[in-house]
Amino acid sequence: MRPAHRSSCFPQLGLAACAIALALQPGCKPGGSSGGSGGANPRITIQNKGSDTMVNVAQVWAEEYKKIHPHVDVEVSGGGSGVGIAALIKGTIDLASTSRDMKAEEKALAKKNTGKEPREFVVGHDALVVYVHKDNPLAEITNEQLADIFAEGGKITKWSDLGVKLPADRDVIVRVSRQSSSGTYEFFREHVLNKRDFKLGSRDMNGSKEVVELVGLTMSAIGYSGLGYNEPGKVKMLKVSPKAGQPAIEPGVATTLSKQYPIARPLLLYTLGEPTGELKNYIDWILTDAGQQIVEKSGYVPLRAGTSKP
Amino acid sequence: MNASTGHAMFGETPPVRRKLRQEALAQWVFGAMAAAMIVPLLLIVGYLVVRAAPSLNLEFLLEVPKRGMTEGGIWPAFVGTLYLVFLSLAFSAPIGILAAVYLNEYARDNWFNRVINLAVINLAGVPSIVHALFGLGAFVYAARFGYSIISASLTLAIMTLPVIIAATREALASVPRSFREACWNVGATRWQTIWAVVLPNSISGILTGIILEVSRAAGETAPVMFTGVVFFKAVERGDLFPYYLNEQCMALSMHLYTISTQVPGVKESIPFATAIVLLALVLMVNAAAISLRVYLRSRKKW
Repeated sequence: MRPAHRSSCFPQLGLAACAIALALQPGCKPGGSSGGSGGANPRITIQNKGSDTMVNVAQVWAEEYKKIHPHVDVEVSGGGSGVGIAALIKGTIDLASTSRDMKAEEKALAKKNTGKEPREFVVGHDALVVYVHKDNPLAEITNEQLADIFAEGGKITKWSDLGVKLPADRDVIVRVSRQSSSGTYEFFREHVLNKRDFKLGSRDMNGSKEVVELVGLTMSAIGYSGLGYNEPGKVKMLKVSPKAGQPAIEPGVATTLSKQYPIARPLLLYTLGEPTGELKNYIDWILTDAGQQIVEKSGYVPLRAGTSKP
Repeated sequence: MNASTGHAMFGETPPVRRKLRQEALAQWVFGAMAAAMIVPLLLIVGYLVVRAAPSLNLEFLLEVPKRGMTEGGIWPAFVGTLYLVFLSLAFSAPIGILAAVYLNEYARDNWFNRVINLAVINLAGVPSIVHALFGLGAFVYAARFGYSIISASLTLAIMTLPVIIAATREALASVPRSFREACWNVGATRWQTIWAVVLPNSISGILTGIILEVSRAAGETAPVMFTGVVFFKAVERGDLFPYYLNEQCMALSMHLYTISTQVPGVKESIPFATAIVLLALVLMVNAAAISLRVYLRSRKKW
């Protein structure tokens, strides 16, 4: 199926063939298009796929790493933690970034498919923040109330149920959630809803940023998203208390590192088997202060306090 | 027509006036409908240009995204889209043209060819997300191309194939049958007739059909997102050949989607400027198709 080789004595068709040959040229140019290592200038490609929560920090890692190691290309794509894990199980990527643990059966499946045990790296933390519109008078919420708002069978459907006064036509709570392949969705379901299902009728957004944007535009909305997506002046972050009666904790770097904030989670990278070569170097670099500073700058919580000041 | 005599002979009676009013109204309404066609286009383009203005310069095109894609330009996405479009056409155009030649020039009306026709029509109606899943299963997993430019362009190629076949068939069918008969009558075979008469006379239509597919291929997000387009990849500024074909690339449509839905704190004008570049690419390709058609038409001898 190499269409460019059609030679022709046909002027107009030749023109088309010429255009095709030209288009193919970039592919043919780098000597046999060997994408992997080998040759005078070994070029390494690391394929990284997964969590939408982590895709922004993963992108800055790739951008910065290229500056120090120009021969290493990191390809970053999102889609959700589930998408990354699925691709890792199939063995089509090198590095899955996820905002939830790989389940035991997923690990078993990966082992069965590829013969390698997935290896986990904790590269940071994320506080899952509950956002409301900036004009919403609510300041704090409990875990149970969140479950009653979002989970199937939960009783809270109106703001007045929470004792919040909004204009009468805005009283019905608009729930803003995530698509089901999202790790954020899964984590919220597991840790806030206690593995119950979500109520039907929520607005399921395809990205962490969209959740915050919709909440920022909708007075009666409540939604959950990463700490890094806060847009001050548009939305408000609620303090969350683990149980009714306990003090509500403000989401933030300090409260996440001290494990006080109840809905925080680790940010993870998975490789197939123990990483070697450039892949290992890349992960090692992410764990250094340089990599961790990027975590904090992107709005997440680094592994160690104080890495932001070199 | 003659108003003065008409007036003298037939005074403007109320029914006539009513008729004239209706006529004026009809013309006005239909004119407004026609104008309404261009209003959205002008509004879209105008709105985009205004919002994009701070970022619209050559630097934006040539520069790579910076600082977590919140600043800088769109070079990697622009080149990625060019890669995908040209490579997919390189796969689909020859296959599509040859298939169309067969269907139009050789195929008899039997069950086998009716099945092929049906398949082409149905393939054209398959939603792009289904193509995406097919490409993922067929090229990424089964053919073991992995997530790569090859997989993505093959997926796009399959998606564009039915339209190329349809456009080519139409172009071939527009060549008068008498041309073929004249050729057959001097003893030419079917193939000689196709090569010497049918193709030269239909090439403008064929090329237009193919080039118009560029705009479709450039705009699609779903098929490439599943098969070989990434959120981000670092490349050199202005590098014309930044990707190997077995690697993944960035693309304009996907880039527009991610910076508007995923990345916080993007400079306001960047998504709009990205949309402008995508739109300009498509419009330029369409303009090229039109001028090519005009040029080839002018050389037509009938």
